[in-house]
Amino acid sequence: MKATIFDIKEFALNDGEGIRTTVFFKGCPLRCAWCHNPEGLSPAPELYIKKNGCRNCGLCKKDCRHPECKPFGRCIHICPMDLVSVAGREWNVNELYDMLMRGKAIYESTGGGVTFSGGEPLMQSEFLFEILEMLRGKVHTAIETSGFASENVFKKIASACDFVIMDIKFISGELHKKYTGCSNEKILDNAKWLIRSNIPHLFRTPLIPTITDTEDNLRAISDFIGEEKIELLKYNTLASAKYASVGRVFDLNISSEEVSIPNVSFFKNATVRK
Amino acid sequence: MMNKALYNFYIVDRSYREMYRKEFDRNLAEEFHSADLSDEERLIRRFELLCEKEVAHIHDFEKIVMLRTNKNIPECFTDGEWAERRKNHYIHENGYVSNLSPNYAKVIEKGLLHFRKDANEYGVRAIDACLSVCDRYLEEARKQDRQDLVKIFSQIPRYGARNFREALQFFRIIHFFLWLEGDYHNTVGRFDQYMYPYFIADIERGVYTKETALDLIEDFFISFNKDSDLYVGVQQGDNGQSMVLGGTDKDGNDTYNMLSELCLIASEELKLIDPKINLRVSKNTPLSVFEQCTKLTRAGLGFPQYSNDDVVIPALIKYGYAPEDAINYVVAACWEFIIPGVGNDIANIGALNFPAVIDRAIREAIGSAKGFNELLERTRSLIFEECDKIRASIHDVLVAPSHFMDILRDGKKYNNFGIHGSGIASAADALVAVKKYVFDEGSVTPERLISALDSNFESDAELLHKLRFEAPKMGHADPEVDKLAGFIINTFADALDGKTNCLGGCYRAGSGTAMYYLWHARELGATADGRFASEPFGTNFSPNLFAKIPGPISVIESFTANDMTRNMNGGPLTLEFASSIFNNEESMRKVAELIKYFIMRGGHQLQLNAVNLDTMKAAQKNPELYRNLVVRIWGWSAYFVELDREFQNHVMLRQEYTV
Repeated sequence: MKATIFDIKEFALNDGEGIRTTVFFKGCPLRCAWCHNPEGLSPAPELYIKKNGCRNCGLCKKDCRHPECKPFGRCIHICPMDLVSVAGREWNVNELYDMLMRGKAIYESTGGGVTFSGGEPLMQSEFLFEILEMLRGKVHTAIETSGFASENVFKKIASACDFVIMDIKFISGELHKKYTGCSNEKILDNAKWLIRSNIPHLFRTPLIPTITDTEDNLRAISDFIGEEKIELLKYNTLASAKYASVGRVFDLNISSEEVSIPNVSFFKNATVRK
Repeated sequence: MMNKALYNFYIVDRSYREMYRKEFDRNLAEEFHSADLSDEERLIRRFELLCEKEVAHIHDFEKIVMLRTNKNIPECFTDGEWAERRKNHYIHENGYVSNLSPNYAKVIEKGLLHFRKDANEYGVRAIDACLSVCDRYLEEARKQDRQDLVKIFSQIPRYGARNFREALQFFRIIHFFLWLEGDYHNTVGRFDQYMYPYFIADIERGVYTKETALDLIEDFFISFNKDSDLYVGVQQGDNGQSMVLGGTDKDGNDTYNMLSELCLIASEELKLIDPKINLRVSKNTPLSVFEQCTKLTRAGLGFPQYSNDDVVIPALIKYGYAPEDAINYVVAACWEFIIPGVGNDIANIGALNFPAVIDRAIREAIGSAKGFNELLERTRSLIFEECDKIRASIHDVLVAPSHFMDILRDGKKYNNFGIHGSGIASAADALVAVKKYVFDEGSVTPERLISALDSNFESDAELLHKLRFEAPKMGHADPEVDKLAGFIINTFADALDGKTNCLGGCYRAGSGTAMYYLWHARELGATADGRFASEPFGTNFSPNLFAKIPGPISVIESFTANDMTRNMNGGPLTLEFASSIFNNEESMRKVAELIKYFIMRGGHQLQLNAVNLDTMKAAQKNPELYRNLVVRIWGWSAYFVELDREFQNHVMLRQEYTV
């Protein structure tokens, strides 16, 4: 079985307990206006060109004999600055398993493990289920998900891992649709199920100035989760950095001066992560 | 609370440097030459003359006094004499004593008069010259009615210190005179061990609380920065004021104590480049110590540097150090392991250029070799050849006498020479690339490789990309590269093993580069790891600057993959972290855990930096706004804006982990 993965990050500090490795699955059904991993949106491998440092030497545009370059119209094996690459490659499940198990010692000694993120990891749920099963009992596993998946898929995956980190972005279906392109009906249902389950979990809300960080929205989220633990993530204005590299446009205009921490005192069990 | 007046005077304002310092303008070398004086006489006479000129300055805001008023230390030998000396002798660096650690513990306990009894003529004169300066301080203290200092200078340095403050002032006196003698890279040694009895006695008697003791320590730390601009090495900041904290005792217990902790806090609060903090740790070091240290790392000074007792001590014993000495090791100016009191090692006497040797082996063997093993055999014989050359070049070592330093030492028990090894990652990466592409896959012909190297890759951008960005690298935790690195490291040790140097000591192979990461690299053309001609190597025991690295864990795994106990001259793995990751407690703890992981895996030495690339860029544009920005260079830290551009740029290129 194979999955398309666009990054594997060692020593991920913000994706759960202990020292962790995070696997980023490619492809996401949501289109959040503030997404900071635009290379995780499309499920297919895509050209990723860093602009900074380009000397316009044109080498990447010349014909090459590599079959792997053909679909992209650029040579990915020639840039002297290594600015031209492909985001996303297929991983075989055994290959990924071997790679992740290499970190077993440090995961164990620090109470860490492996986190599957994205994109939306539940979009490649069969592969995800398989790797979770392989790691079960050997390495602590977590997922970071938008929760946008069918009830069956969500339950199956959540039950197969040790920890679930799930976003709640909006309670209002209308706003959710407006800023992410999708309905939040399934998300909220899955969240309710997660709350009732005995699977260890953590909710997260990105604090996007004037979008998700409004008092109305935050109060609604607080009411929805009640006593549940939630992390509120401060918006990072570097989010736009990678858009041009994958030929996308970042529409959100928020300067660092506009980023502040709103009143969150009404949350019963929240921490703000800066 | 930091002493603001003191800090402003010595660190911010600095006008005392112009106000108090006077040029010593006699041409002593010519005078000594005309009088045909012996080396011994020259050194003692210079010391006496400089001491005569020293003027005592005491300020009401300082507790630890003494600053240098001689702007310069005149030469003892004429250029002609130096040329003559170099003809028949190996002269290390500038020919004076350096990189030693005296027996501070004993001197501070006994006082100088104790040593005067048995000293030779020169020792007596050195002590007397030193006392005459201290008496001037006593006089000045009386004049200013500084009863605290009158009491202190009536006791020390003639007699031993009776309390913590006297012990600190005594240290300052010793250190001051070592520099004045012309000795350089004078290290601080196991400060928290030899000072602890004075410290804890005063704490127990209620003389200090933890807070007031910290104030005094900060006052003392500032004293390292009073004259440090006069202690120039390769660059400003390279001055060897290295302090060692913690360490295991003979029973395997961790000796980290309250004083160690206060030193870490003092360094973190003051954010000064001196003293340079080193920590001796082991598998028994609790995580809380690493967490405390990580707070210091966050301050951005490039401290502390860690040395792993579990690895270093057995390795030193293997070299022939007595266990009771090995257990007492400290670091020299940067990271070289030396023994306080009894060591006379020259820990940085030479350096092997790994990438140059590998490049030569590849060029000589690639066309004719029937298999990769033949290339390895060629590599092995070239490493032996180069080491033999280095050894042959070091004969009849002549170091100028150091009368004051000799009083503070118990002898010259160890006379070992340390040889750095530069560019290990570049060398191993080149070997693995040739193995993979030329020998295993056959996808690159020898001719294509050599012509690409000769053209500095101008002729073959595709091969450049393959070698530079697609080939396995040290830092990938790829067993094949790491094994080849092990081959190079072990061959280096083999080539020096069992050889006796001209002082009767052994040779120690090392993993440090010192400035050779630039110097060796400058003279080397393009190499098979995809490195351009003259492009710098990584510093010390670190990945190639351009290697794409999955993260710090892979780097740690690569750089702890090999047994280093036969290459224990010192030289750390360096990890650079974006300063932004230190912004919360949880991340700080994870960094501490990472350090512990390195130690548990048997890594020998580690140094972490918190860096901010944007700040460095801004500092290059507006240096005047960033006078206090500190960065780590190779075994020492410096003010960024005081560095030459070449050093600045290298710091900016190093691998940085953002999370």
